[in-house]
Amino acid sequence: MATKREERLFEKEMQKIRKARYEKMKAEGIENYLTPEQIRYNKNKKIIGAVWPIFRFLIIFGLGFVILYPIIFMLSTAFRPYEQMNDPSIIWLPKSFTLQNMQETFDIMSFDTTVLNTVRLNLIASVLQVITCSITGYGFARFNFKGKSILFGIVIAMILVPPQIITIPMYLQYAFFDLFGLIPLFNGGETITLINSGWTMYLPAMFANGIRAGLFILIFRQFFRGLPKELEDAAYLDGCGPFKTYIKVMVPNAKTSFLTVFLFSIVWYWNDYYVSSSFFTRNDTVALMLKNLDSELTSRLFNNQTPGIRAMIVWLESGCLLTIAPILIMYIFLQRYFIEGIERSGLVG
Amino acid sequence: MSEIVKDIDNAVSEEVIEEVAENAQEQAEAAIEETAKPKKASKPPKQKGMKIPYERRKALYGYGFIALWLLGSIYFFMMPVIESIIYSFCDTIPAPDQGGMSLDFVGLKNYKNALTVHPTYPIALPEVLGDTLLKTPLILVFSIFIAIILNQKFKGRTVARAIFFLPVIIATGPVIDIINGNMDSAGTNGGSEQFNSLFETDLVGDLLTFLGIYGISDKLTEIINTLTSDIFNLVWNSGIQILLFLSALQTIPFSAKEAAQMEGATSWEYFWKITLPYISPMIVASLVYTIVDSFVDPENQVMKIVLGMGKNWEFGYQAAMLWLYFIIVAVALGIVIAIVNKFVYYEVG
Repeated sequence: MATKREERLFEKEMQKIRKARYEKMKAEGIENYLTPEQIRYNKNKKIIGAVWPIFRFLIIFGLGFVILYPIIFMLSTAFRPYEQMNDPSIIWLPKSFTLQNMQETFDIMSFDTTVLNTVRLNLIASVLQVITCSITGYGFARFNFKGKSILFGIVIAMILVPPQIITIPMYLQYAFFDLFGLIPLFNGGETITLINSGWTMYLPAMFANGIRAGLFILIFRQFFRGLPKELEDAAYLDGCGPFKTYIKVMVPNAKTSFLTVFLFSIVWYWNDYYVSSSFFTRNDTVALMLKNLDSELTSRLFNNQTPGIRAMIVWLESGCLLTIAPILIMYIFLQRYFIEGIERSGLVG
Repeated sequence: MSEIVKDIDNAVSEEVIEEVAENAQEQAEAAIEETAKPKKASKPPKQKGMKIPYERRKALYGYGFIALWLLGSIYFFMMPVIESIIYSFCDTIPAPDQGGMSLDFVGLKNYKNALTVHPTYPIALPEVLGDTLLKTPLILVFSIFIAIILNQKFKGRTVARAIFFLPVIIATGPVIDIINGNMDSAGTNGGSEQFNSLFETDLVGDLLTFLGIYGISDKLTEIINTLTSDIFNLVWNSGIQILLFLSALQTIPFSAKEAAQMEGATSWEYFWKITLPYISPMIVASLVYTIVDSFVDPENQVMKIVLGMGKNWEFGYQAAMLWLYFIIVAVALGIVIAIVNKFVYYEVG
């Protein structure tokens, strides 16, 4: 397969040759060289080449606007004074800007502590998840053992079975946590409860069963399968054991894949509402906070009166903006890795 | 943890070296023996030390690599799944003192009730199914189209890509709820609602009326209407699919493109004869993702009903509904995949 640079060079050269040849033919009378069909083909191609970029621009611009619309709306609303929300003369640009909404939302969400809390949960769970999922993916990619297809079927099942199905049993497992009956042995017959503790996120991640772990295992497996076998054979011959080979040889080769999975893991943990709402009763994460923002607003700003239809929108949109801001900033700086990473991470194959 | 791994590694690497040496010695001995006494049947070579053959040992390492995940998935996935299946055959009564739940076996009653007694579930089920079957091809075609555009070379491609993948970052969790205006206090005007009301036009209807076509086919009109009026959800739901197709497009070898150019293939022919076969494995993957994603979406009607059941503490009933739903989805998915798989082109090698 040609590299990108070769491709570009080839394209350039071809164009030059084509142009020169065409000029020559034109000078000598084009009918002598080409059949009418070929002439038509060239003409069509020329027309498409001129028209298509315009269409492409229109399509991309239009759809890009559709995607960016909520974010523009968010920006427009979050900094708008509350009274101007019902002003029909304002569509995008408010007459004055205010930081009051942001400030109030920040206080109500107690954003500083929540964000720190979320970041802590998020980073620990993501790191654990990436490590364990990669180990599992490597095991599935390079070793043959009995029951492999059945076990891999379980991985696929993990992707397919909606997490809502197992919420209640999981909740009971966490609420009366006994780890196969081990913990009561040390705890005088008592189980411990993990509800409201970060362990409800760390533990599954530690055992490669966190949020969308099945998908990550699949990604790693595909990636490791794509690496040349000679790499490991060389390591084995040099006396590396499989675990050492994995750490010393395979991990450095899988850097992009690791980064991609890590970024996605962070994004999904950040946006996760399901796990945190099932196993946390306090408003501990940003997503949970945002979900409950409207009830908080009702009780704090509106004295428990039901606010009007559009009354809360400025605070809600401010909350949205606050919530996505950290992840958005990360995305702006790292979007290259999101996109290129998934292209190279071997999802294909 | 890492120390243990290191220990194992050291032990393993020593063993490997030893065994390699031993094997070599044995082979040499055996060879000498054979040349010395060619008529005597050679005994199986004696093995000292490790008695597990290499292949078996590798298999054991395979188990070692997936052990962590296996433990985790037994505890965090299989046990809850089995428990939830048991719930679905029982009446559940919350009982905090005996492990959280006391069960009362009732056989298939929950399933029967879900299908015959429940007022909305049997109606919502085919609706959601039909809706998904309608939307999935739309999303697939749309994301292939966008992926092909984003794979072309033009100025500002990086920015365009970054914008089109933005939904992947944001479109999960409560942020999208606020964007969609789906918060608990109904009537909150979110970005998408405002978007739809800003650009709400019955273009298709107008066009058909203009052409003198009235009610040619309700289904067709519905499909076109979904495409045009719901473009917001279409764009916001196809981020991952675009990503998958884009990564598949990158794997098309340059030689194929070159050959097609030499033969004078039009872009149309190129798409059908080269692009589509190459990305066809990814079509299956995106199909699975799209279907699963839309079925698990907490905003769809069945999920709303089912998740609402949890508030009444009827977990057995809820589990039965979920499993029924899941089985139907799985069967539908299986049929679709079986059909699509016939057209998938896998590159040999």
